[in-house]
Parts: sequence; structure tokens; C-alpha cells
Amino acid sequence: MPARVPKPRILIGKPGLDGHDRGAKYVAHVLRDAGYEVVYTGIRRSPEQIVDAAVQEDVAAIGLSLLSGAHNVLFKRIIDLLKERGAGDVLVFGGGTIPPDDLPGLEKLGVAAVFTPGTSAKTIIETIDRLLAGRAKP
Amino acid sequence: MTRSIAQLVEAVVAARDDIAAIRSAAQLISIVEDAPERLPELIQAISRLAEASRPRHARLLLGVTGAPGSGKSTLVDAMVAECRTRFPERRVGVVAVDPSSPFTGGAVLGDRVRMMRHATDPKVFVRSMASRGHLGGLTLGVRGAIHVLGLLGCDVVFIETVGVGQSEVEIAGVADLVLLVLAPGQGDSVQLLKAGLMEIGDVFVVNKADKPEAAKVHAEVLAALELDKQVHAGEVDPLSAESGDGSQAGDALAFERGRCGRVEPRACLVSAQDKKGVVELVDAVEEIAAGVAGPSHEESGLAGRARDGFGRPAGRTSSGHRTVQAVACASG
Ligand SMILES: Nc1nc2c(ncn2[C@@H]2O[C@H](COP(=O)(O)OP(=O)(O)O)[C@@H](O)[C@H]2O)c(=O)[nH]1
Ligand SMILES: [Mg+2]
Repeated sequence: MPARVPKPRILIGKPGLDGHDRGAKYVAHVLRDAGYEVVYTGIRRSPEQIVDAAVQEDVAAIGLSLLSGAHNVLFKRIIDLLKERGAGDVLVFGGGTIPPDDLPGLEKLGVAAVFTPGTSAKTIIETIDRLLAGRAKP
Repeated sequence: MTRSIAQLVEAVVAARDDIAAIRSAAQLISIVEDAPERLPELIQAISRLAEASRPRHARLLLGVTGAPGSGKSTLVDAMVAECRTRFPERRVGVVAVDPSSPFTGGAVLGDRVRMMRHATDPKVFVRSMASRGHLGGLTLGVRGAIHVLGLLGCDVVFIETVGVGQSEVEIAGVADLVLLVLAPGQGDSVQLLKAGLMEIGDVFVVNKADKPEAAKVHAEVLAALELDKQVHAGEVDPLSAESGDGSQAGDALAFERGRCGRVEPRACLVSAQDKKGVVELVDAVEEIAAGVAGPSHEESGLAGRARDGFGRPAGRTSSGHRTVQAVACASG
């Protein structure tokens, strides 16, 4: 493998109570195939677990997979916790069954992107590449 | 606002709380992970710190290796829990390496999934790392991470290797003790032992004791260790050794290698998942560690080596005198 400037690291987490991890695993693999190092944290994680792991892993972004319907609360909690930990610069994006009506509110919260079901791998990669451009480490 | 290595080292030490220390330590690890050539700068910054009120390096570096799926991450999770119970005031670190894709350079790092219950414990720091094309089971960033975790005040640091197999001897050059994890249904574990992993293990952990075939694997491991002992005893020319049994010659060689010459390999049956045998395993590790650590701890003993990196030759083929000890652990 040629030496290269590594792409920023991304943590994928799945807060909430449902046990479906297909979406989270799919995004993890899409990002891996695009050259990202993805820290996968599994299902049913609390916002605290996700944020504390993200801080230890020093990731540039957190991707949340959400199916449970509690997305507004969970996104807010995670973004608040990141700020509390002095890690407000960590980008937060998400995916899952999120009603279009909620998207403006999430954007206002600071959620950088939301991938609804059916989003192509290409779109995911292009979006993450664009959002993280310039965050490549020196 | 990117901070320099020296600033981050100061920040770890001067942090007002765990959260701030952890964040600075995490950033420091990233710097030396992305630029391993800056390791000397890190080491220098740490050594420049004002008279240390506490040690700036871990007391014990524990390597955990073994085939994928043998249960390394689950075992580390269980051992971390046991360490935290045993020494509630002490910090524990984990560095877990998973492979990078040779095609894209990307990686899915999944070891942490098994350890997430510790995520919110401010005294446990877990860091996942991708191998980034480095062969040998570790990655260049591991050395830096070990230094940073020592700086952060970790008492014990676990290092989980990639676990792809027989070439993973590098861990023996980094860790004070190596736990080799074996499990039933992992192919022929004894084949693995024969193929060169035998020499790097200090404790052979037969995991998944809840499965009926585990006892058989345990017996095979004990037999393999016994055979290894006999073979190496036979290798020593009795005429060149001072005593007839060759044990002193073995001792001398083991001493020269600077590691664990005094350690007798043990075989331990555990169920990481059911938390059976883990207390006994940590007992065994602590007992061995107490024996290996000496007054020369700083320079040559536990954790001292890690400061010099991957330099020590792996393997310990000379310890022909060692005896096999079975640790009484859980049965199925
Ligand atoms: N039956 C049983 N399964 C276990 C045990 N320890 C781990 N496992 C399972 O083995 C699989 C691999 O575990 P993991 O810790 O990820 O292994 P690693 O690849 O060596 O790190 C997982 O499905 C674990 O749940 C055990 O003691 N008993
Ligand atoms: Mg693992």
C-alpha cells in the first residue's frame, strides 16, 4: 500500500433501542471502500458512549444511524455532549428513516448531512468528502 | 487551532479534569499515528516534563494476539473490567489494531464494539488503529499511543494485534507479556503453535471454555508446551553447559534476550464471554509481572523496552528450561 496522507477518521454509531445494524454497517463499508478509517461501535449505544468513544478515537466526524424515531432528541444530545467535551468541531451526520419535515430542524441543530434510505454510495462519499475536505491533517 | 506536540503533552498533564486530559491525549495519538517519524519529538517532550510526580509510562504492557474470532477483544473487555474492579483508582489503556484494506487504505475498526461498556468510564481509554499497510500485526502508531497512554497515567495498557496469523511476532518486541488467545473451532490451533506462535506466547489463553471442545484444545496446548520444553531441553549440548541438564545455558540465553526468561508459559482456560476464569487469568498475569519487574524496571524491565520501540528480537526459543504450568480456570 502506497504511503499517503490518511483520510480523517469517522466513527459510526447507532443510538437508540432497535437492533437493526444494516444501515450502519452499510455506511461503514461504503466509507471504508472510499479510503476512510471507520471506527464501528455497534448497536444500542447511548449518546454518552458514542461521544466519549469519539473523543478517545479523535475522529473528525460521527455518523449516526437512526431508525427509532427519536432522532431529534438523540442528535441534539450528541451535539450538546460534543460541545461539553470541547469537541464541538466534530462533524455530525446521520442516516435512516428521517421524515423530510424534520430536516430543516436538524440542519439548524448543526447536523451536517442526512442520508435517507436509498441514498447512493456515490452520493454518501461525495458528501462526506466535501464536508471533510480541508480537515485532512497536516 | 492545532496545538504542537509539546503543548499537547503539557495539556495532558495540566488538564483540569479527565475529559480535557483524554481529549489532548487523543489528539496527541493522532499526531504520532499520522506522522510516526515525530515519535522522538513526543518522547522528548514527555521527558522534558518537570520532575514527574507519577510515572510517565505504563507499569505493564500486555499484548493480546491470536486468530481473528478467537475472542481477543472480548477478552480484553473482560480483563479491563477485572483491572478496574481490582484497582479502582488506576487507569487502563487499550490499543486495538485492525487491518487496513490493501486496495483502498480504508478500514473498519471493530474491536471497540466489544468494549463499549467502558466507553464512559473516564479511567478507561480505548484507541482503535488501522494497520496502514504495516505487516507484523501492529502499526507504526502503536508506539506513540503507548507513550501517550503512559503519559495519561495508564497503569496497564492492552495491545490487541490484527490477528492474521503466523507473522505476528512483532507484539513480542513491544509487550512485556503476550497472551496468545486460542479457541475451539479456529482451525487447528496446535498447527498455529507449531508455526511459530509458540515462542511469542507467555500465557496461552484457551478461550470459549463454555464450548465443550475447549477442554480438548486446552489439553492440546498443554501437550504442545510440554513438547516444546522437551525439544528445547534437548537442543542444549550437555557438554557445553556447566550442569548436565543444560538449564543454566538456557538461563543465560534467555537472559540475553532480555525478556521473560524467567517466565514459565502457562495455559489458561477461560470464557471471556461468560467472564469465567478471567480473575484467575489476571492473577496469573500479575504474578508473572511481579516476577519480571525488578529494580531495573526503568531501563530494561517492564515497559522500558517500549520506549525503544520494536527493536527487540522476537521469540524466546532458548528457554528450554521452562516448565509448563496449567492454571486452574473455569471448565465448561
Ligand atoms: N462462546 C463464546 N464465544 C465467545 C467468547 N469470547 C468471544 N466470543 C465470541 O467470538 C466472536 C469473536 O470475538 P472477538 O472478541 O471479536 O474476537 P477477536 O476477533 O479475536 O477480537 C464474537 O462473536 C464473540 O462474541 C467465549 O468465551 N465464548
Ligand atoms: Mg478484535
